[in-house]
Amino acid sequence: MSNPDRELLQGTLDLLILKAVSATPMHAWGLTQRIREMSREVLSVNPGSLYPALERLQDRGWIEPRWGVTENNRRAKFYQLTASGRKRLEVETEAWRRLVVGVNAVLRTT
Amino acid sequence: MGWRHVVSRRLRALFRRDAVEREMEEELALHYELAVEERIRGGEAPRLARANALQEFRGADGAREMYRDARGTGWVERLAQDGRYAVRTLVATPAFTIVIIATLALGIGANSAVFSVVHAVLLRELPYEAPDRLAMVWETDRDSGTEREGASIPDYFDFRARARSFVSLAAFRPVPMNRTGDAAPERVWSARVTREFLTTLGVTPVLGRDFVEAEAAPGGPPVVLVSTRYWRTRLGAEPAVLGRTLRLDDSLFTIVGVLPERFHFPDDEVELWAIDQMTPTSGERFRHHISVVGRLASTASVRSAQQEMDGVARALEEEYPQSNTARGVYVEPLEQVLLGDVRPALLLLLGAVGVVLLIACVNAANLLLARRAARAREIAVRAALGAGRGRLVQQLVVESGVIALAAATVGLLLAQLGLRALVAIAPRSLPRAEEIAVDGTVLMVTLGVSMAVALVFGLLPAAGGQQTTPAQTLSSAGSRTGTGSREHTRLRNLLVVAEIAMAVLLVAGAGLLLRSFWTIRGVNPGFEPENTLAVRYQLPPSRYPQSFSNYPAGWERTFAFQRDVLERVRAVPGVRRAALAFNDPLTPGFTNSFLIEGREPEAAQGQAEVPTRPVSAGYFAAAGVPLLAGRDFAESDAVGDPPVLIINQAMADRYFAGTDPLGHRIRFWGTTREIVGVVGNERFDGLAAEAPPAMYPPIAQAPATLGTLLVRTAGDPHALLPAVREAIWSVDRDLAPFDVRTMEEAIDASLAQQRFLALLLAAFGGVALVLALVGVYGVIAYSVAQRGREIGIRLALGATSRRVRRAVIVEGARMAVVGGAIGIVLALGAGRLVRSQLYGVSAADPLTLAAAAGLLIAIAILGSAIPAWRASAMAPGEVLRGS
Repeated sequence: MSNPDRELLQGTLDLLILKAVSATPMHAWGLTQRIREMSREVLSVNPGSLYPALERLQDRGWIEPRWGVTENNRRAKFYQLTASGRKRLEVETEAWRRLVVGVNAVLRTT
Repeated sequence: MGWRHVVSRRLRALFRRDAVEREMEEELALHYELAVEERIRGGEAPRLARANALQEFRGADGAREMYRDARGTGWVERLAQDGRYAVRTLVATPAFTIVIIATLALGIGANSAVFSVVHAVLLRELPYEAPDRLAMVWETDRDSGTEREGASIPDYFDFRARARSFVSLAAFRPVPMNRTGDAAPERVWSARVTREFLTTLGVTPVLGRDFVEAEAAPGGPPVVLVSTRYWRTRLGAEPAVLGRTLRLDDSLFTIVGVLPERFHFPDDEVELWAIDQMTPTSGERFRHHISVVGRLASTASVRSAQQEMDGVARALEEEYPQSNTARGVYVEPLEQVLLGDVRPALLLLLGAVGVVLLIACVNAANLLLARRAARAREIAVRAALGAGRGRLVQQLVVESGVIALAAATVGLLLAQLGLRALVAIAPRSLPRAEEIAVDGTVLMVTLGVSMAVALVFGLLPAAGGQQTTPAQTLSSAGSRTGTGSREHTRLRNLLVVAEIAMAVLLVAGAGLLLRSFWTIRGVNPGFEPENTLAVRYQLPPSRYPQSFSNYPAGWERTFAFQRDVLERVRAVPGVRRAALAFNDPLTPGFTNSFLIEGREPEAAQGQAEVPTRPVSAGYFAAAGVPLLAGRDFAESDAVGDPPVLIINQAMADRYFAGTDPLGHRIRFWGTTREIVGVVGNERFDGLAAEAPPAMYPPIAQAPATLGTLLVRTAGDPHALLPAVREAIWSVDRDLAPFDVRTMEEAIDASLAQQRFLALLLAAFGGVALVLALVGVYGVIAYSVAQRGREIGIRLALGATSRRVRRAVIVEGARMAVVGGAIGIVLALGAGRLVRSQLYGVSAADPLTLAAAAGLLIAIAILGSAIPAWRASAMAPGEVLRGS
């Protein structure tokens, strides 16, 4: 993972997922929908990136899976934030804000 | 949480794989369905929605695979997946699989078997403490050029007193002893050893104790140490054995210790080590009948010890000119003494069997190459679908790994079987033969070799397919053959050439050893071995006083035994002749310096030592050595009669050239003897060594307590053995005859190492021939199949089937000629390794080398003949339609 682009992207995706499941547990497809809605259709996540990210976040212990039932009574795996995941979300959010402020400041300089 | 959490997740992923996978599929399926529904809600036609969703999921498998990658157990699963895939494809092509596994199993099995021998005999540490610090201390004799002679007892005590390079020096001498008292007298190989024996070797008894000081003093209690083997097989493996006595040579020895299982010294046959209560005066300074082994001091090396001992020897020369003039000392590492003789032969075998393995590897690589050429399209498709090159190579290596593992398993079974045969035909002189086994080390080495083999033959074909892109392979879809085939063909031809070259090397080596063996077997030993029985005996000093200093006083019983035993044995029905000799034909016995009367100045310049064999009257007739001049010994040549001597032709030629040796007088052992006869040359040291000049004094005029009874029989010598044994026991009830065999068996035994080597190399050569045949056949058959269209066109255009046949055979023969030429060069290069094992044939023997190359060319033609015939029999139309 030496590629800085990828690292940024991944970090961002992790942040988005943590944020998306922070309010209520979500299943994988729901997550993609939620991220699209929240980003006003700007961001979309394809399964190829989503699943590895979900695995990674589980490994770190930030989210955990639980089998549940969808509104249409279908069995699905829901991901929910753990306590350490919530802390992580705060840290990541703060880091992101600072990054945005910093990058914007740079871009505004003439 | 933390790492424990991760580990448990991964473990679950690994071990509950089915459950995890099911969950994954379920999750993905739901995702897909929901995505499709969303698209339909958005107005897409159901079919389009499904297609688009699928597109989004492009390769749900891909996602899943990444999913697994993310989990980090990916490589294990990929390995398992590749393994399963390899097994599936191998099972699907049983003929291929059996041939390739059999080929490799043969190579691996032969290697494991030979390595087991090399490991047990050469590589395993000798069963002593820090064996590399042990050295033999020989005496040398500059006059006769003898390098490894024993020491004399006084010299040994002087070494001990003067040498600083050794922490301790022990003396020993192997002696057969008669054990009596229980049942029939039994001969036990024993050694008389000094007090320092175990401390020098650094060995402690597993039961009991070492000798103590009081036991080493003259007149102290006689004590003995026994081997574990003897303790088990002869003493009932009882712990109470300590304190028990053994009657050996009529003395009672008390058992004080049992030595460790692996302990052997100086060879595998010695079972008992009895205390030698020698003092500086127990032996004369001119009798070199004890051996000395020492442990180097921490500050000394073999070289520095040699330097110090050179000085000691020089001092002794000055102090005792009568006995020590021209005497030096040779310090030789013990390991070299014990294993030096077999090392070159075993290393030669290891090299040969390594070549067999290489050939097997090449064959396996060739088979895989053919198969991968056939699977080129499949591989190209997978590459096009995005499988990385590394992934494809990994898969190929995993496949060859699976093959190699299977071959190793079968090979180890073969090794087990082969080892039994190997040990059975191994020469008896092979040290530590009983330790030979397929043990943990052999297992690990076999596994390691197999993995190396897998890499070699797995990667060779991979290297061959490198240049082609998937697109090239796929675009040549019309023809059955991939475009990689040209490189493949070149590589395969190269491999076959290499294989043939190596086969020539092996066959040439086998040929040389076989020719050498036949030559040596055809050697005239100088005596007639047929229908002759040889039985050895050792007269114990207790009943047969043997004081050398006042010989012949006190030797009456020995002379009486010799007279009586010959009389009794000659009376046995079926015995035609019987005679005694100090040692039997083919064993060198001892050598002596001598002085020809009237030619003393010659001796002053240093006189050679010649083998000296005391024999009884009738020996030459019994052994079948022709009397060339003069007379044989008679019963009247007894002790007290005028001393006489018979010499052999070689001695007559060397020392009495142009004159009649009869009537000349020769002085040795303090007696002057008149030459009364000249006999033909018999070989003294095995069949390989030319007959040396030799002297035969009458056994009745020589001190000889060790002897061989030689019996020439009318019929089967074995049938007379019980009667001969009874005849010996009728003279001495407590004597244990040993080393009973016919002279033909003795000759066979003396050739055991040559036979062993020749047999094994012949077997390896045979395997190499079969593998080469398979290799050539495979390549030519494949090439014919590949060029089916071309051949069909030729046939259709009117080429005769004979011409097609010839073209194919020439293709095979060309490879064989190139391989044969390279093989001859290899064989010439390897000559150095085999030279020391040859007799009467040069390592560069042109006939053998040419025959080996010719044989391989014939094999190659044979291997091409079947595909050639098949090619010429093709119906052109069918071939063309078929593609």
